[in-house]
Amino acid sequence: MLRRFRLEEPETVREVSELLARFGESAKVYAGGTELLLAMKEGLVQYERLINVKKLTGLNEVKLDNGTAHIGALCTHRQLETAPVLQQRLPALMKLEKNVANVRVRQVGTLGGNLCFAEPHADPGILLMALGAKMVAEKSSSKREITAEAFFVDAYETCLEADEMLTEIQVPVPKAKSGVAYLKFGYLERPSVGVAVALTLSDDGKSVGDIKIAVGCAGPAPKSVPESEAILKGKSTDEAVHRLAEAGEVAGRAARAISDLHGSQEYKEHIVGVLLKRAFQNAVSQC
Amino acid sequence: MRFEKEVEILAPREKVWNFIWDVDRFIACVPGCKEAKTVEAGKRYSATMVEKVGPFRVEFPTTIEVLETEELSRIKAQASGADNKIGSRMKIELNVHLREQDGKTMLGFVAGVDILGKLAALGHGIIKRKADQVLDEFAQAVKKQLEGDS
Repeated sequence: MLRRFRLEEPETVREVSELLARFGESAKVYAGGTELLLAMKEGLVQYERLINVKKLTGLNEVKLDNGTAHIGALCTHRQLETAPVLQQRLPALMKLEKNVANVRVRQVGTLGGNLCFAEPHADPGILLMALGAKMVAEKSSSKREITAEAFFVDAYETCLEADEMLTEIQVPVPKAKSGVAYLKFGYLERPSVGVAVALTLSDDGKSVGDIKIAVGCAGPAPKSVPESEAILKGKSTDEAVHRLAEAGEVAGRAARAISDLHGSQEYKEHIVGVLLKRAFQNAVSQC
Repeated sequence: MRFEKEVEILAPREKVWNFIWDVDRFIACVPGCKEAKTVEAGKRYSATMVEKVGPFRVEFPTTIEVLETEELSRIKAQASGADNKIGSRMKIELNVHLREQDGKTMLGFVAGVDILGKLAALGHGIIKRKADQVLDEFAQAVKKQLEGDS
């Protein structure tokens, strides 16, 4: 049962930040509530105050500006799976959003809420990391951009300061000769391994110009894998294909996989390798 | 969940053994442990364990019972506690063993940990990882305490 709490309804990000600063750990930002309210109903967390940010204006839009998609933190998953900007410029993100949980969750759950709750099995953070996304965090006196790598600290932990609010996610739109793929493996709606690959081929289309790889769900938080990227970067696509097993092994270890009911550590590491191989080939085929 | 850890301590076995029974110093090495009290010396102790994973916080008032001891080499203990706020229980069966090796002491722990109730909703993997971290920090703190004042 949901215990009694006070609902604060600020109208600006500044007011949200001030409330967070004033009430500290006894208050929590509330947007879609798909994860927070469940945890509260279960009695796993208790807050005296919820700060309802749903009425804040300007934070539920997707805009394209100068090669970057600016996604308001209050955009729901449903909004993103149907956003024309994503459909045209970031189809991989749109596809991922289409597969987040189920339609009831997507209808009210927000991308910002998903990222801030930092549930280890959540997958948007993995793809955003491979896409080189930045999170914009604001508080009363300042605003900063945080890379996805720095944003996720641990299971259920982000680097947001106590009085900061995530307001926007900035995603660079992939350039020409680029491919982006996100693949996940799991039982029903709960992914137990997720792998994202974003790559750009050289001008002649024969070698891997740039590549970003991120893994998640298997471990406590999404993680980029520069060691695997280094194995494939600059190689001809044929050579890269031959070295995918090696890159997959490295990525598997980097995932910090945890044995649980969804699979052993070794099994998840193996699946990371399999998905990396498929995601790489999928991304190359888009170029 | 089962945990095993062995730490090498540059101190004689007697010193390590005495340290284990010095409740205040020993408890200071357990991350998140507070308000430790001796109920009956050598047999029964009480403490409160506080742990946090992201926004989730648990507080287990815990009773520790020493079941068996073998001077300078082995302790078997059991700890149990409940957090009524979030409706969860914890039970730990702990085996501590000491052996001397080239003037050093190998201090080993084997712990069987059961978490029951809503806390389990966080997932076995996350709880295991947190417990691993706690055990690592504890082993390092014990090593530091014992080697620091030799």
